[in-house]
Amino acid sequence: MVFLQETKSPGSEVNVRRLIISGLVFLALLFSFWLVYQKDDVSTFPESVKLVEVLDIKQSLEKRKFILMPIHFGTDHFTFTAWVNQGEDYLKKHYRWITRLIASYVKAGYFMLEDFLLEAPWVFVVGLLLIPSLAYGGVKLGLLILFGFMYWGMVGLWESAMETLALMGLSVVLSVIVGVMLGILCALSDRFEKGMKPVLDTMQVMPAFVYLIPAMFFFGIGGAPAILATMIYSMPPIIRLTNLGIRQVPNETIESATAFGSTKSQILFKVQIPLALPSIMMGVNQTIMMALALVVLATFIGAQGLGSEIWIAIRKLDVGVAMEGGLCVLLMAIMFDRLGKAISSEPITLPLDSQKFYLLPQTWDIYPLARIIEKPLEYIHFIFGFVFSSIIKIFSSIIGLILSIGHKEFANTVKEFINLHYFFFSGILILIGISLYDSYIVAIGSFPEAWNFSIEEEIAAGVKSLTVNPTFISITKAIRSTVVIYLLKPLDVYLTFLPYWYTMAALIIISWISVGLRFAIISTLLLLFIGACNIWTEAMITLSSVLISVLLCFIIGVPIGILASYSKRFQSINEVILDAMQTLPYFCYLIPVLMFFGGGAFSALLATIIYSIPPIIRLTVLGLSQVSSTYSEVSTSFGGTTIQTLNKIKFPLAIPSLVMGFNQTVMMAFAMQIVTPLIGGKGLGLEVFNGLARSDTGRSLAAGIGICLLAMIIDRISLAWTKKQREALGL
Amino acid sequence: MKNSLFAKTFAALILSSFLILSAGTANAKRLVAAVPDWTGGEITCQVAVAILEDELGYKIERIVFPSGTGLWEAVAAGDIDFACESWPSYAEADDVMINMDLVYDGEVVKSYSGDGTVAAYTTGIIGMSDYYVPKYFADANPDFNDWSDLNSFKAQFANAETGSKGRLIACPVAGWNCHDQKRLDLLGIDFEASELGTEVAALAEAQAAYDRGEAFLLYLWEPHFFFGKNEMVGVKLPAHKDCETFTEANNWQDCGTAAWPATGWAMDYTMNYMNPAMINDPANADAKAFFEKMAFSNTDQAKMLVRVGDDGLSVEDAVAEWKASTDVWQAWLP
Repeated sequence: MVFLQETKSPGSEVNVRRLIISGLVFLALLFSFWLVYQKDDVSTFPESVKLVEVLDIKQSLEKRKFILMPIHFGTDHFTFTAWVNQGEDYLKKHYRWITRLIASYVKAGYFMLEDFLLEAPWVFVVGLLLIPSLAYGGVKLGLLILFGFMYWGMVGLWESAMETLALMGLSVVLSVIVGVMLGILCALSDRFEKGMKPVLDTMQVMPAFVYLIPAMFFFGIGGAPAILATMIYSMPPIIRLTNLGIRQVPNETIESATAFGSTKSQILFKVQIPLALPSIMMGVNQTIMMALALVVLATFIGAQGLGSEIWIAIRKLDVGVAMEGGLCVLLMAIMFDRLGKAISSEPITLPLDSQKFYLLPQTWDIYPLARIIEKPLEYIHFIFGFVFSSIIKIFSSIIGLILSIGHKEFANTVKEFINLHYFFFSGILILIGISLYDSYIVAIGSFPEAWNFSIEEEIAAGVKSLTVNPTFISITKAIRSTVVIYLLKPLDVYLTFLPYWYTMAALIIISWISVGLRFAIISTLLLLFIGACNIWTEAMITLSSVLISVLLCFIIGVPIGILASYSKRFQSINEVILDAMQTLPYFCYLIPVLMFFGGGAFSALLATIIYSIPPIIRLTVLGLSQVSSTYSEVSTSFGGTTIQTLNKIKFPLAIPSLVMGFNQTVMMAFAMQIVTPLIGGKGLGLEVFNGLARSDTGRSLAAGIGICLLAMIIDRISLAWTKKQREALGL
Repeated sequence: MKNSLFAKTFAALILSSFLILSAGTANAKRLVAAVPDWTGGEITCQVAVAILEDELGYKIERIVFPSGTGLWEAVAAGDIDFACESWPSYAEADDVMINMDLVYDGEVVKSYSGDGTVAAYTTGIIGMSDYYVPKYFADANPDFNDWSDLNSFKAQFANAETGSKGRLIACPVAGWNCHDQKRLDLLGIDFEASELGTEVAALAEAQAAYDRGEAFLLYLWEPHFFFGKNEMVGVKLPAHKDCETFTEANNWQDCGTAAWPATGWAMDYTMNYMNPAMINDPANADAKAFFEKMAFSNTDQAKMLVRVGDDGLSVEDAVAEWKASTDVWQAWLP
């Protein structure tokens, strides 16, 4: 009896507290509805806190001629946007020569790389990538790489692909060099890491459009500013993952190295960095992916390549051509992704006698057809292996012979080295062979024009037939009106009409409860900045479209994730689609979306969902499949049905993963807000464009910062929540 | 020791940068052109580029660049030597940056008094903007004559977002200052202007609606490739009349229904604009003479728009074909 009472009382206390909290939330909601009902116009900030002045374009252009004109305190000339514009003018006038100097070096490097790729015989370029992929990934990866190159050439985009390759190659190399250095600094100094964190967040969420146009004025037009803008966008992952990798090196390892008398720099270069390599390689991979996402945007500052081909096609509403170009970018991303993964992962070496298949899965050994296909491959592999290893043996013994005249031992080590790295040296020999053949026997030149194939007409016809298909269009119209009438409009009205002080108070209280007092103060300041820049209404519209797209991502994404976690086959198809959704330039699918659904807020929502749904699906799958099978077995043995197991065991345990996915989806939805104005989206993104069209950097920057601030607040809140959930689960 | 090393590196950096910069400017006959981001402008630009390259011995580097104030500033800064086919109704920087008379067919059509950081000459193309409905809609509804009838058909133009109002696929970019909603309100047209952000977005929606045979009201300008593929009818907005007070500085005080924005758009004498230092350089006298004389006609551009839009020719091929078929351009040579 006593025992029962004791266990019951804390439980009921929790229940009462829960009831009170949910009651309070409910009352607050009711109060907010009442407030909205009372208002007949959108909520605006009081004039006294505004930092912005509305300028006539002509006035502002004239004003900007007077650099650092006297600022009158206390009048409405003292404004954030004006500061930014004046600062920009000042920098432009006095420091542009430095940025132009940097740009001239980047440009020289870019032109060199581009000329090399364009003028080298195409077989040489293919070999350059094909040989390492064969070495690291085997026949399978080699075939993929070959397919990619062939596709670029055959759809007639070889030269554009080479231009993009040069642009991306250089930006990735520079990002990796600078990023690894910054990452090491972060790992060495806690203070530096702390200072770097908000910078990295801003770099990732700040819309590229905001700095793209100013970048042009500082760094000129074409390759150089495109490379530098790409670097800003794609550097954060490599910095983060280098830092993480070095910090994850176990303390015992470092201690034992210190015990053996290693200096600090020795520990860093001989112990920490080598151990952090897998993590750094993952950063490189992500950097490549993010750099490729900027391919089309780079067109806006005059960079040539696949991006400009796609943009020209889109302007002519040429869905087919745009999609062909988009597939080129997609293939480029997949090729580098797979190659990077193959290089960074441990080589899988099967015992020689069990390695029967080179292309197909090993388990297909039982099918006779598979064996027939693999037989010739095995012979080819054997012949190639024999020929190459003997060539390299001859090569190494020649080198050894020459060297042994001078120093015998050195010659032996060189010989061994060459024999060990036979793939590397045979690759170099092949490439030299190709270039000799090209310059002395027959010029190979660029990709042969006679080899071509095209899918543009099929794609265009497919889109067109769907556009005029009455059943399909009535479905799209029904979806559109449902979402618009029941979700978009009500939430838009609710958030924009709700008094600013109410929304602010709600956000501040939530951040206080979930993160802490300090963050509550910070978020108060951030929200005040948004209000003071006169973009409160736009910010609320942005918030509403992000919330709705995230909600829909959840509703669509979680079931797909559950399905994928139960069926392996579904999951592998799913992976390919998710890859495509993330790397296909979003401009390619915007046109079909517009044709099917019409422009406006709904299409903006749909584009946001397509772009930001992959993380929630991926992390649902991860979370559910990570739940150890013993838990579900226990549940099943106690007679739990599949649904019960899922509901009661798997889901609660997968919550941290789900929240993580939610967090990433929110960030991507925010990042997409800058693209949606191109198809009729409203809010802060549109404000960025309006600023750019008037070359008013201050205005775009204020709106860009607004997006970042909202994203940061929501990011911090959800991360804090994940942490609490993890702790509650004892993970 | 450290200092001297730094100084040396710095000197080397500066020296090599001069080398790179001088290599870029060694050949004076190279120009950088910004190609506009709509097909009509692209054709006009290619005509200029083809003549400069084939007849006057220039080498032109073409860059795809979105139009807007940013482009004007790039031209003024000398990053871009010239840009093509600006429409005065939409440009905002022209009054500030041009300081010369705009001459069309021997007559001064507008006198500018800006700061002279950009020079401009007419292209010959005269642009017109209006609202359009598809021809099949006008044919099916004989009662529909002009804009004043739009209200009685508004139900056909409505969608989920506009509710009871009709929908105008409006001038897509807010920065163009079309003031569609203001015009609709002043004229008493119960429509909602939806700005889709890019020309592409507006056209994609219009094209899809046309293919389905739906009613839609579209802001557009002539000459445009959309008219080559689709038959459209203008709604005959009232003829343009200037309104002096309708400026942003004046908080958009309109002049009622008697003048802009309730009236239509002015005739746009489009212009090529360029960096004054480049065009007044004696070495570029040929180019200057050409830009002064260029008089490309609307009909020629419209024909080429059809060749590009319908027949799938590249802009370069369409211009080459036109150049071989006529000798109009001979008169523009210096």
